[in-house]
Amino acid sequence: MSIDVPAGALPSRKFGLTVVYLLSTVAAMSLLFWYLGVSPSSFWVDSRFIVDLFQQMFPPNFALFWTKSSLFISLIETLSMAFLATICGGLIALFLAFFAATNTTPHPLIRLAVRTLLVMNRSVPHLIIILVLLIAVGIGPFAGALTLIFASVGMYGKFFADSIEQADKGTLESVQSLGSTRLQTIRYAVLPQVMPSFVANLFYAFDHNLRAAIPLGVFGGGGIGFELAFAHGLLHYKDVMAYTILIVLMITGMERISDWARRSIITQPQLITK
Amino acid sequence: MASPSMTPFRQELPFLEWKRGIAGQRLKQAAIAGVLLVLVALTAWRCEVHMKTFVLGIDKGLPLVGMFFPPEWSGMVGMLQPLGVTTVMAMAATILGMCLSLPCALAASSNLAPPPLRLMMRAFIALERGLPEIVQMLLLIAIFGLGPIPGLVALSFSSIGMLAKLLADAIEEIEPHMLEAVAGTGATRSQVIRYAVIPQILPALFANGLFRFEFNVRAGVILGAVGAGGIGYIMSTAMNSMDYQRACMATLLTLALVFITERVSDFFRGRILAGGLLR
Repeated sequence: MSIDVPAGALPSRKFGLTVVYLLSTVAAMSLLFWYLGVSPSSFWVDSRFIVDLFQQMFPPNFALFWTKSSLFISLIETLSMAFLATICGGLIALFLAFFAATNTTPHPLIRLAVRTLLVMNRSVPHLIIILVLLIAVGIGPFAGALTLIFASVGMYGKFFADSIEQADKGTLESVQSLGSTRLQTIRYAVLPQVMPSFVANLFYAFDHNLRAAIPLGVFGGGGIGFELAFAHGLLHYKDVMAYTILIVLMITGMERISDWARRSIITQPQLITK
Repeated sequence: MASPSMTPFRQELPFLEWKRGIAGQRLKQAAIAGVLLVLVALTAWRCEVHMKTFVLGIDKGLPLVGMFFPPEWSGMVGMLQPLGVTTVMAMAATILGMCLSLPCALAASSNLAPPPLRLMMRAFIALERGLPEIVQMLLLIAIFGLGPIPGLVALSFSSIGMLAKLLADAIEEIEPHMLEAVAGTGATRSQVIRYAVIPQILPALFANGLFRFEFNVRAGVILGAVGAGGIGYIMSTAMNSMDYQRACMATLLTLALVFITERVSDFFRGRILAGGLLR
């Protein structure tokens, strides 16, 4: 008498597979490290450097918080960059999404064009956008905000288009059967359906933009990242530490707020499944 | 002919109520829109948004973008190595982050770990999540010097931050009776983890890991520009030396890399979530 067990489910076979997986992971890791020219010994740095850095960092220069008022202005600058990018980028993305969704697009060719545009938009690295914009509009938060707007459109245009395509077909048809125009269909059948996920995504986008705003600041996009890079360039590690603490507090706080808002304001919370 | 009367008919009452409801909704929407408009105006003022700068920027930017073309095709072969460095850095950081996030997640979940350990681990994860890679990178450069190692460490750490939080949440959602069923057979805590927890979170680990890989590639480009090497470094040096055609080539390669990683990670994630690849 024998029981049919799929070969993959046999304990011995499973154990063998696990070993193979682990070994291949280790092999892949060593290959990757070899390619980077990284040997495990290079992770072992002279503890002197670490001790030295910590001695330079601590105690953090908290005096900055009350002596340097521009600090909070740059903090607000970073927040405004993220906010502006979320609202403007979100609206542009929503507008484009109607052209990119199969059920609302005026023509399949337009859909293809907009989708391609969104893919391009998403793939262009932030770095090159900010470097170009720095030359075009100059150093400052405006360049950072424009970069974030540009990047948000690519990211959220696809989300919104997908959620529009998932809108209930029956509602659309019933509104259309009343003789509504395309705009009216969008207004009364599509918008109410996608609005909750739109708002939920906006909170998520704000969080994402806030994180992305820091590196943009380092390259000259203004805000707290700029101050941090400036202090780092001067090797004022005590100031760097103070800025770092401020950044961590801001991002963590905003994440909490946006999580809470997403859960409480929106009646149908929709998880962002990327 | 219906004339507006002071006392509405009983049949009209629900309609009036509906109308009042709609009016209330409109008012709420208008209030939200107004608040948002004020906030946008304030933030725009803070960000020094001027239409003039924008228009001037378009004037300046378009010729600049024109200078990007044609891309410097001859530089492509030389850029493949830095492109590889960025990819490998992201890959190694993802694998390291996945390996390290598993124990972190186990220690951070309320149903497996003792409260003090859990609290400590959650604080660590929150710190990792709040610390942007670039800040970690700037500090790590002071320790490791320039090169891919600080980039690798920074990306791994922030990968831990994201993956461990998602995993810990996934572990906490495991139904208690599953853990009890395994524990009821006399399994030790490590056996419970091995047989009840790990099989359940493995798909989530891999799916999120693939998503994180995509993210790490993008972040790796930025870290490259501040000293991790790779394609980001090529891009920023080319831009700084105003060698725009070279920058364009680097951008095209990065575009291809990001596009391919997105496709690959989407493909495998779809397979994993459908339950085809891991069982």
